[in-house]
Amino acid sequence: MESNAMKRRVRTVIGSKNCDDPIIDYKGTEYLEKFLTPQGQILSRRRTGFCTQCQKQLKTAIKRARHVGLLPFVG
Amino acid sequence: MVLLDNDVVRMDWKKAKSIVMDTVTKYDGTLKSCRRWDERRLAYPMNRKNRATFYLTYHEIPSDNIPAFRRDLELNERVLRYLILAVDEVPEEELKLAAEEDGADYMVPEPPEDDALEIPEEEDEEDVADIVGDIEAPSAVEDVDDNA
Repeated sequence: MESNAMKRRVRTVIGSKNCDDPIIDYKGTEYLEKFLTPQGQILSRRRTGFCTQCQKQLKTAIKRARHVGLLPFVG
Repeated sequence: MVLLDNDVVRMDWKKAKSIVMDTVTKYDGTLKSCRRWDERRLAYPMNRKNRATFYLTYHEIPSDNIPAFRRDLELNERVLRYLILAVDEVPEEELKLAAEEDGADYMVPEPPEDDALEIPEEEDEEDVADIVGDIEAPSAVEDVDDNA
């Protein structure tokens, strides 16, 4: 029988951004797509590994990209 | 950033460019940099268009004129969408790229058809041959069964 520790899901963290890096640009769609689920939802901070400020930058950039049609709202 | 209708770009690039430049100057704005950023397939259709030309400008406009500027862009049928952001300074790269575009040698590539599919360039002939081989393999097995 597997222990609880074995059952625990291991999730990889995607992001690797220092807070000193330049602000996330909404035009960099290839970078932003990494932080979207196949359904087009923004990944949580737990998955991205970003701090509060960086996650907020990411959210803003993705929403701007969605507005100008660079990224989809759904799917 | 302004999304322009590809039909206007196809007809005359200068005319398409003037849509944005004239609107900025109309509201006492000063253009610092303006260039064609890209031509892309949209993630979702806008005004029944699947593709658009992205035009990126950096300009200064008096804050009192911004609501009228926004309204003008919204009423313009050639502008599919726009995004106005406040920035501290114009990036140097943008100035360089805009200067290159202003040069006489710059040619605007004609936008593809609205429904044109983007074919990835990474696929080599060998990869295609492998895929075809994989597909044909089961039929060969069926032939053997028929003969038996």
